[in-house]
Amino acid sequence: MPPPVIDQIQGSRCPQCGTAVVPPARFCPWHPVAMAPVSLTGLGEIVTFTTLHSPPEGFRSPLHIALVELQGGARLVCHGEATRGIRIGSRVAIEAVDRVYYFAHLGALDRARLFWRRAGRRGERLEAIARSWAKRLWKGRGRDTGE
Amino acid sequence: MASVWISGAGMTPFGRRTQSLPDLMADAARAALTASGIEVPDAIVVATMNPEEFLGEGNFASRIATHLGFAYVPAIRVETATSSGAAAIFAGFTAVASGTARAVLVVGGERMTHLPTPRVSEIIGRSIDPYERSYGATMPALAGLITRALMARSGLSAREISQVAVKNHANAVRNPYAHFRAPVALAAVMASRLVADPLRLFHCCPISDGAAALVLTASRAAVRIAGIGQGTDALAVRHRQELTSFRATQAAAKAAFAMAGFGADRVEVAEVHDAFTPFELIALEDTGLFPPGAAGRATLDGETALDGRLPVNPSGGLKARGHPLGATGIAQVVELVWQLTGQAADRQVSAHVGLAQSIGGLATNNFVTLVEAA
Ligand SMILES: [Zn+2]
Repeated sequence: MPPPVIDQIQGSRCPQCGTAVVPPARFCPWHPVAMAPVSLTGLGEIVTFTTLHSPPEGFRSPLHIALVELQGGARLVCHGEATRGIRIGSRVAIEAVDRVYYFAHLGALDRARLFWRRAGRRGERLEAIARSWAKRLWKGRGRDTGE
Repeated sequence: MASVWISGAGMTPFGRRTQSLPDLMADAARAALTASGIEVPDAIVVATMNPEEFLGEGNFASRIATHLGFAYVPAIRVETATSSGAAAIFAGFTAVASGTARAVLVVGGERMTHLPTPRVSEIIGRSIDPYERSYGATMPALAGLITRALMARSGLSAREISQVAVKNHANAVRNPYAHFRAPVALAAVMASRLVADPLRLFHCCPISDGAAALVLTASRAAVRIAGIGQGTDALAVRHRQELTSFRATQAAAKAAFAMAGFGADRVEVAEVHDAFTPFELIALEDTGLFPPGAAGRATLDGETALDGRLPVNPSGGLKARGHPLGATGIAQVVELVWQLTGQAADRQVSAHVGLAQSIGGLATNNFVTLVEAA
């Protein structure tokens, strides 16, 4: 088995209405029904985003926050390095670094890699290289402090 | 269901105040009781969002009842984040409508300006979903996310969002109870510093101290609560089906109009929750006062100004009258009572029916109240 190239995001899904949420929740927000664990692919679209210029204590300024809808339907809030080039509807990859989610823009090159990834192993290798580069970028560049 | 009347209304000036919260609440309560002619209410409903953290005080219903000299009057505290004042009216309304009480004092307030702004933001931010908060999401951040989605979807411009601030400041100039009594120019709003892109500083309400009170009675008075409704949504913004309208306001408005037995066309003045100026435009559409997508243009055209077709936030709104959390939902109705009874002095409009809309948290627990002159 080759290593997974896109992060899997742990969430939960409602067996009644199909709503998926991240992080996992005990009950569906819309029904008093126990949710089942679900693993979602860390690819999605920017729903909206903002840059906070006076973030709370413990966060660097400016703080880029985006709301991303994953392919599996769940939405999550995540951080990003920058919002330059990001638009509503932009395709992004979600990376988990130290259990914090970050979005990274999927440029034309990355989309091609994803295409190749679906097409075969060569793309997977390329994507893995891009991913480890992104991880290095994020390490130590996250929040100033922990929780 | 018995009719519920508003027989007294009062408030303190909003802004940076030196008095304690119990004293501010006492001033508002005394003013409302004096106006109502009622010496001792049957019950008290107290609204304050977070006196535990702002002031280090709890058991606040008893604190206020005792401070007012009503230690023997049953008192409860109601909390739904930033709509706590409106929730207290709702609780007082149900007490009178059910016959449980014949006269209820509803009093709300907050005292915050003694704390540094980051600390106040942190305490207000407690009302945000814990996971979203762990990403640094504050109220302005979530409002920024919603505003960007709104602008992209409806084509709303920065000019339209900014005009709300210009209008509400202009109204507050005429209101002696307002926090800000200086006008602002459109260019100054649009050039103010970015807080949460695309929201700028002058799109956001201030941190204020203050208190407001109403006396609700079963006996007839000049103004009646024609309808009141509550609406809710998921705590987490990421779970919402819709970002650019608030389901909680829509449900509250539907319930309030159903109780009143009339529609939005009867409303002649409105006080809405403009904690962030785009929220005023969302509120006007969610309550049905304007068709979807029409509120921004109407604001630019002056339709919601003091001399417009439908004056909105004649008090100056949260933006300029100020936003002492627990006081706000009550202060909105105080303003409507004054407007409906010809007591609004320099900012008087002509109206028989008014609507108040209050947002709790990031629109998780909202209220709409309809008042009608007898
Ligand atoms: Zn469900």
